[in-house]
Formats: sequence, C-alpha cells, structure tokens
Amino acid sequence: MMTSRRRFLKLTGAAAAAVGLPAAPARAQSGPVKIGVLAAKAGVTAPVGESGLRGVQFATDRINAGGGILGRRIALVVEEESSPKDTVERFRKLSLSDKVDVVSGAVSTGVGLALGPVAEEMKTIWLAWDATTQKGVEETMPKPRYSFRSCDNECEAVMASILTAKNWKGAFRRVAGINPDYSYGRDNWAAFLAIMKRHGIEVEVVSELWPKLGSTDFTSHVAALQQAKPDLVFSCFWAGDTPIFMKQAHAAGLTQGTKFVLTTGGGVHESMKKAFTPEGVLLGYNSMYFEHPRASALMKEFVRWHHEQFKEWPNYESDHGYFTVVAYKAAVERAAKAAGGRWPSVDQIVAALEGVEVESLSGPRRYREDHIMEATFFQGYTTHKNKHDFVTVDPVEAMGTKQIQKPSGVGLYDWINSWKV
Amino acid sequence: MARALGLAAVTALVAAPWILPPYHLTLLLPALGYSIALLGLNLLFGTTGLLSFGHALFVALGAYTAAVMTTHLGIKAFELVLAAAAGVAAVVAVPVGLLCVRYVKIYFGMLTLAFGMLFYSFLYKFYTLTGGDEGIRVGRPTLLGQAFEDLDKVAFLTGPFYYYALGLLGLAALGMHRIVTSPFGLCLRAVRENPDKAGSLAVGVRSYRLAAFVVAAVFGAVGGTLLAVPTGLADPLLAYWTHSGNLVFMLLLGGFEHFLGPLVGAVVFIFLQDQVMSLTPYWRFVFGVILAVVVIFFPRGLMGLLAPRARAA
Amino acid sequence: MLGGVFHAAVLFLVAAGLQLVFGVQRILNLACGSFYALGAYTGVSAVGWALGAGLPAPLFVLVLLAAGVALAAIGPPIERLLRTIYDRDEAFQLLLTFALVLMLEDVIRFVWGTAPVQLGGVYLVYGQARIASTTVPVYNLVVIAAGALIALGMGWFLARSRFGRIVRATAENREMAEALGVDMSRVYVRVFTLGVGLGTVGGALVIPATAAMNEMGIELIVEAFAVVVIGGLGSMRGAAAGALIVGVLKGVAIATWPEVEMLAIYVIVIAVLVLRPAGLFARATA
Repeated sequence: MMTSRRRFLKLTGAAAAAVGLPAAPARAQSGPVKIGVLAAKAGVTAPVGESGLRGVQFATDRINAGGGILGRRIALVVEEESSPKDTVERFRKLSLSDKVDVVSGAVSTGVGLALGPVAEEMKTIWLAWDATTQKGVEETMPKPRYSFRSCDNECEAVMASILTAKNWKGAFRRVAGINPDYSYGRDNWAAFLAIMKRHGIEVEVVSELWPKLGSTDFTSHVAALQQAKPDLVFSCFWAGDTPIFMKQAHAAGLTQGTKFVLTTGGGVHESMKKAFTPEGVLLGYNSMYFEHPRASALMKEFVRWHHEQFKEWPNYESDHGYFTVVAYKAAVERAAKAAGGRWPSVDQIVAALEGVEVESLSGPRRYREDHIMEATFFQGYTTHKNKHDFVTVDPVEAMGTKQIQKPSGVGLYDWINSWKV
Repeated sequence: MARALGLAAVTALVAAPWILPPYHLTLLLPALGYSIALLGLNLLFGTTGLLSFGHALFVALGAYTAAVMTTHLGIKAFELVLAAAAGVAAVVAVPVGLLCVRYVKIYFGMLTLAFGMLFYSFLYKFYTLTGGDEGIRVGRPTLLGQAFEDLDKVAFLTGPFYYYALGLLGLAALGMHRIVTSPFGLCLRAVRENPDKAGSLAVGVRSYRLAAFVVAAVFGAVGGTLLAVPTGLADPLLAYWTHSGNLVFMLLLGGFEHFLGPLVGAVVFIFLQDQVMSLTPYWRFVFGVILAVVVIFFPRGLMGLLAPRARAA
Repeated sequence: MLGGVFHAAVLFLVAAGLQLVFGVQRILNLACGSFYALGAYTGVSAVGWALGAGLPAPLFVLVLLAAGVALAAIGPPIERLLRTIYDRDEAFQLLLTFALVLMLEDVIRFVWGTAPVQLGGVYLVYGQARIASTTVPVYNLVVIAAGALIALGMGWFLARSRFGRIVRATAENREMAEALGVDMSRVYVRVFTLGVGLGTVGGALVIPATAAMNEMGIELIVEAFAVVVIGGLGSMRGAAAGALIVGVLKGVAIATWPEVEMLAIYVIVIAVLVLRPAGLFARATA
C-alpha cells in the first residue's frame, strides 16, 4: 500500500514536472474543442439536467457533422452537478485537470451562486443553463467577465402576470400563492404581487404557502387553500411537485371555479395529465414550447430526434443547453475572423460572446453585453384538444425578454414600477 | 510502525504542492478540513463511544460563521474567523450537548441527527437571515495579516492557504493527541468502556461526555471554515443528514481506532469520489457497496489494515 | 386536518416498520425511507401492468397491497446482510443501513430513471366525498382506513398471536427468550421482513395520490425519526400517536402559519425530549 502510494506520488510528480507546472491553465490549440458540461443526475433537478444535456448533445452532433468549430471537433466532458461544494470541485476539475475550453451547465440557484466567482477565478468561460437569481445577478456578480447567465428567473412570472392582468383583470380578487420554499419561489411570488399592484389590480392575498422543493404530499396545503377560497392560485412549481399538486388539488375539487397560473409547469409538461389538469389554466413553458405551430425546421428536427431517442417530448432546458454550444461556436468564429483566422484567446471569445446572436431551437437568442441571455418565452391556456394524454396550450403566447426581463443595471422592482400601464 | 506512517503522511502532505498538479491540491484542501472535523468526531466515537449522526451541524456552523464574517461583517482575518467559529460552535454545543449526552448509543445518534436537521431547516427557512437555499458567500480571507493579492485564487488556495490549513491540521492533531492521552482522555475511555463503574468512581459521566461533545463541535466548526473558503459559499446542504452520514463514512473508512484514521479516511474518500463520480452517474451505489464492505469486513478501516496492532494513541 | 391524518397514516406505516425492527433487533434502520420509495415505484409499475392486462380499475388497490407485500421479499436477503454484524456496536448497524440508503437510491434511479413517475387515472376511481363542506377524494379515506386497520392488526398481532408474544418477549429480554428455546435467527428474519413490508406497503398505498420521486425516501426518513422520538423508540402505540401528532401538526401549521411547517415538528421533538425524554409511550428507556 505504502509503496504503491509512494510510486503514485513519484509518478504524478514526474508528470507534473513534465508539463511544467505550476502554470496558468493553457488551453490546447489543436485536437478537439473540449466543452465541460455540468448536468444534474440525481435529486429534484436531475430531469432538468438531463434535458439540458440532451440539447448540448444535439448541438454537438450537428456541429461535428458539419465539420466542427473551425475544423476542430467538439468533445464533451460531462460531470455531475450536485451540491455547491462538490460542483465547485467538479468545475475546478474541468478547468484544471481536463483543461476544457468552456463549461456549459448548472441549474440550481445555490450552485450558480457558488460557480460565478469560481469561473472568474479560473478565467474559464461558464455558460449557465439556468440558476439566475436576483441575488446572483445584482449582489454577487455585478460585472462578471467569464460567467454568462441565463435569463432572469422572474421572466416567467413577469410574463404570466402581464397575461393575467390583461386577460383576467376584474375576474379575481382573492389570490393564493403556493411556491417552492427557496429564492426562486420567493422572487416569483413577489414579482407577481408587484405587477398586480402596478396594473392597479387590487388583490387580497388569502394564503401564502411555501412547501419544500420536491415535496410529494400537498394534501394539507390543498386543504388550506380550500379554506382560503381563492379566486386565483399562483404557483411557479417547475419540478415533479407540479403534477402532484394539481392532482391533489383536482381531487379535492379545487380546480373547479378557481383560476390557476402555473408559470413554469411546462418544465414537466408530459406529467400534466388531462385527468387532473383542467382546460384554461395559464401554463408557462419557459423559453421553448415543443409543439409550437410556427416552429422552425430546426426545432421540428430536434423534437423528432428527441422523441425518437428518449420517447419523450422535450422541454425548455434543452434549448438553454443547445444555445450555449451554438453561441460558443458563433463567438469563436467571430473572434477568429477578427484575429486573422487563428484560434482566438479566451478573452477574445468572451468579447465575441457579448452581443452574439444565433438561431436557437425556439428562435433567435442572444447574450446581452452584461452577459444575460435574451430569448423568447412561451405560455398559453391549457387545452385537452391534442393527441397526447397530457395538456398542451392553445393559443400560444410568445413574449421576448426585451419585454419581460429587466434591462441591464436596473433593479427588478424599480423596473416594474417604471412601467407605463 | 505507527510513527513511521505518521512521518510518511506528514512528509507527503508537506511535499504535495511540489508534486501534485493544482487540481489535486485543491482536492486536498477539503480533505484537510474534513480531517480536523473527523478528529473531533472521533473523540466522540472512537474515544467516548458516542456516534453522532449530526456532526455536519457544526461543520455548517463553521462555514456560516466564515460566511457571515467575511461577507456581512467585512472581517477578513482568518484567525478571527477561526476564533469566532470555535466560539459559536462551543456556545451552540453546550445546550445541544446537554440534551444529547443524556443518551447513549442509538438514541444519541438519533438526537444528534434531529438537531442537525433542525439547523438545516433553520438555514433553509430563515431566508432573510441565512440566504435560504442560496446560502451566503464566503470571501477570500487574509492569513496572518497577509492578503496575497498578487496570487490568483487557485495559487492562493494551493499555496499559502494549503500550508495554513496543513498547519492548522497539525495543531489540531497535536491538540487532540494531548486530549486523548491526558487524564481527561483516559476518563472518557473509562466512560465508554464502563459508564457505571466510571460513575461510581466519581467521574461525572455526563459532564465528561458534554466536554467531549463541545470539543468535537469546535473541531467540526474549524474544519467547516476550512471547507468554506475553497468553495466560496456556505449553503444548507452542508448541514443535511446525509452529509453527517458521509462524515461517519470517512471516519470508518480511515479507521476510528487509529490516530491517522481521520486524515486517511478524508483523503481516500475525496479522491475516490473524484474518480468514481467521473466514471459513473451511479457513484452513490458504488459508495454504498464500499461502505457495506468496510462495515462488514474491515470495521477497523484502512488504518486497521495497514497497522493492525497500532491502537489509538 | 384530514390532510394531516392522511399524511399521518402513511407516516405511521413507515414509522411502525422502524419501531418493530428497532424493538426486536435494536437496529435503527435508516433505509426504512428507501423501502417506502421502492414500494411507491413498484406500485406504479405493478398497477400499470395490471391495468394493461385488463384488470378492472376499482381493484387497483389490491394490486398495490400485493405489490407492497411482495416487495417485502427483499427483507430476508437484506436481513442476511445485517446478520453479519449483529454482534457489533450499534453504530456499525446504523452505518450499514446508511450504505443501503445510498445503494437503493441508485437502484431506483437505474430502474425507473430520474423523472417523476405517476399512476394515471386511478386516484378518483372511488369518487369524492364531502366532509364538513370540503371535498375529499375517497381514496384518501381508504388509505387512512388501511393505516388504521394495519395499526389495529399489528396491535392484535403483537398482543395475541403466538409469534407476537415471541416478538414481545424478545424485545423485552433477548437472552431470556433465547434460553426459553426461541429460534432467534428465524424471529429476526420475520420481524425484519415485516418491517420492510410495512414500509413498502406504505409507499405503494400513497402513490395514487402523488408521484414517485427519487428523493422521497430520504425526505421521509427525517419525519419518521421525529415520529419515533415523539412516540418513544420501540413502541407501536408511540408510532401511531407520533404519526398523528406530526401529521396533524403539519396540517395545522400549513393552514395557520405556513412558515413554521418544518420547524414546528422539530420544536415538538425537542419539547418532548426536554419534558419527557423517553417519548410519550416509552417502553425502552435510554
């Protein structure tokens, strides 16, 4: 045991001397382009991580089939996103040990908050799929250089609130919120209330419930809602808890005569069965709707590929994943053109990523100069008229982040209060 | 034999920055932090015979103390952070310990687990105070008044901070060695072996257990502050019961009867996790099997294999 | 209130399994939550298969019970694993069950994937009832009744049956029971299997009302622990009372002050510890 350990130390020592450590992480200029991927594989975020990874895989296959990035193939190095501590270690591994060119991934808010500073320290470009909370954007990372964020967490709440104000004004007064007990749930609920106020809609909050993310029993919550008798229930559940809540709410008769706003339930759209999800619920699909009637040829190809591969219809996280890879490719090519055809440096790629716009699955997407993603969001009112056993929406409403995401450098609530309504 | 092993371990750790690539050095950092926490845990388990399934509470407490001090209070001196973490841990450990040490064996394990989860839900629920699920960021500290501003974070972590942590582990190990070989340590062992007899010899069984509990808590918190700096964040998962389970896992893997057990357990656990996680998404299953094998066939851990006769000093 | 009782019924089954195994074998089984999760997933698969094979929908609850009971077959091999360390410190036994938690979590992920799995269309087969001006699915009442029946059945079984007397005797004094000629290894296998079965049946019964998710076991174990601390470790009546207290308390907290939903349980746990350290229905003293 000891000898083998010594030999191991000696060997690694020799290896370290051979590559001339310690040195700044030098990126290879030839061979494949390495993209590190952080995808959740266990726990409540696992389906989201899987979905994002599929988008990355689809983009990678297409790019490699078309000759790669400037002639270099893409090779993926996939690691697991788990707790903040372990994921920071995985990020360091990708950067220091695998020497990846860029890291794509991460969806959990706590992980996102931890990874931002690490990406800056490691000078490694990080293109997040999600995990963009107010705190992460405003307090922790005022001017990130290497981190590129997803759309604000509140986009879906803002859009759902605007639609609610437009279509249901006057039809409700008593509102109840049931949202997951963490920053995402808190921020979304606060945004909803702020927008109702801005629109001059007087609401009475009759119940505010905060079940833990990933709960599987809502019988008591549903009973509390029954007591509170709301006209409208607002929820930004996005995981497996969404169908469970709707199932139990439906079984208790709560879905009769009560309006429902599910900002992000489209994340688990296939489990929103017709049996317990009524028609007329405002359902949000974040930034991609798999059955959009005006979907691009690219989108249709992806949906087909996804269904053939996994026997499932894709959700929005795939497009976050897809976009990060395609945006990276576009930025490298743009920067290379400016650098006379040579493979650009990390800083040149960062500069090229700022403002880059590409055709993503759901339509055009871009990175703002402040490293925040711009996309189109899709929501609509549920219908049972489809070929599936789960609900879809008709008609589909689309709003761009120019309309539903706060602009650079402005606080969320200052922005909402500045609206002209 | 034991001394030779100890010497080899110290030499390897001191030489590591010249030998290991930076990534593996950054992996050694949490191992050093865990080692200190495990030294404390082992005072409870190996010496006093009490198995805590809530030790992560104190690790998290240390991490959150570091977070509050560096982020909210703007205090960057790591010595102050360590002192505060130790103090907070002791203050929390006294009432918690008073309740827990009334029990032994499995009851003690359950109670400590309950307290760990209580702290977890506090961290999770009291959003405005603790940052909820997002936790609180941990800023880069100064070491002995030095900020090392010319070093980037990785160089800082793998250079000065590594040796600082190593020095701290050295101090912690010496301190723990003193404790277990002192009359106090002997009494703790007497309390474990035969509480009734120890009680009749006028050894205040509960107060000895309480003292061990508080010392273990302080070690846990110091370890927690060391963990928090490389991660840069204190988050509620640090207090979750499965994290406590992993701490016990590490201790058993290294061997609770041997003084080097905590260090070996932490290092092997972390490097193994690093490898297996990259190999398979089902690494938890692999770890479950490893734990089962260790529990059934090698209850004295890796050090038990290496140094079969070396009892805890 | 009723929502709380529904939760309590499920919680009772898991806690009862925990209590039984602890009472007799002195093993605190961390994996009881994993058995619950395994029961839930198996329930989905079994009912899906049975309905596909043409089973009339109203009979699905029998399939769930059967699936839960059949799954108890994993009890003997696991007990065989635990048997290797019966003579060791309890800490090792606790750790071995922790190893089981890690393994079973990945087994579930491997077999059923990471997406939530649910049972379509059977929840409301028995219709809805109106109780005190609120609508309640009849199936919730079925689960509550099943929990109560199993509680009564366990009570009768422990008090009256021959095996129950052996179990009680073993729990009180293992050496004495052994001296009287009780075959300990057979008792252990049966008790452990029964404990597993209570957990798997609990998981199978709850599934029509919810969906199976990977971490449902790890989350539940903490509540099951709260139940046994409140009720008193090793006591079957304690499990029932503790489950009711935790379930109803949670329901009341959600209705009145949702912020303290989780904390309230721990506050009660600590209050019980301070005021009545051995639990409300303590049999074994610490």
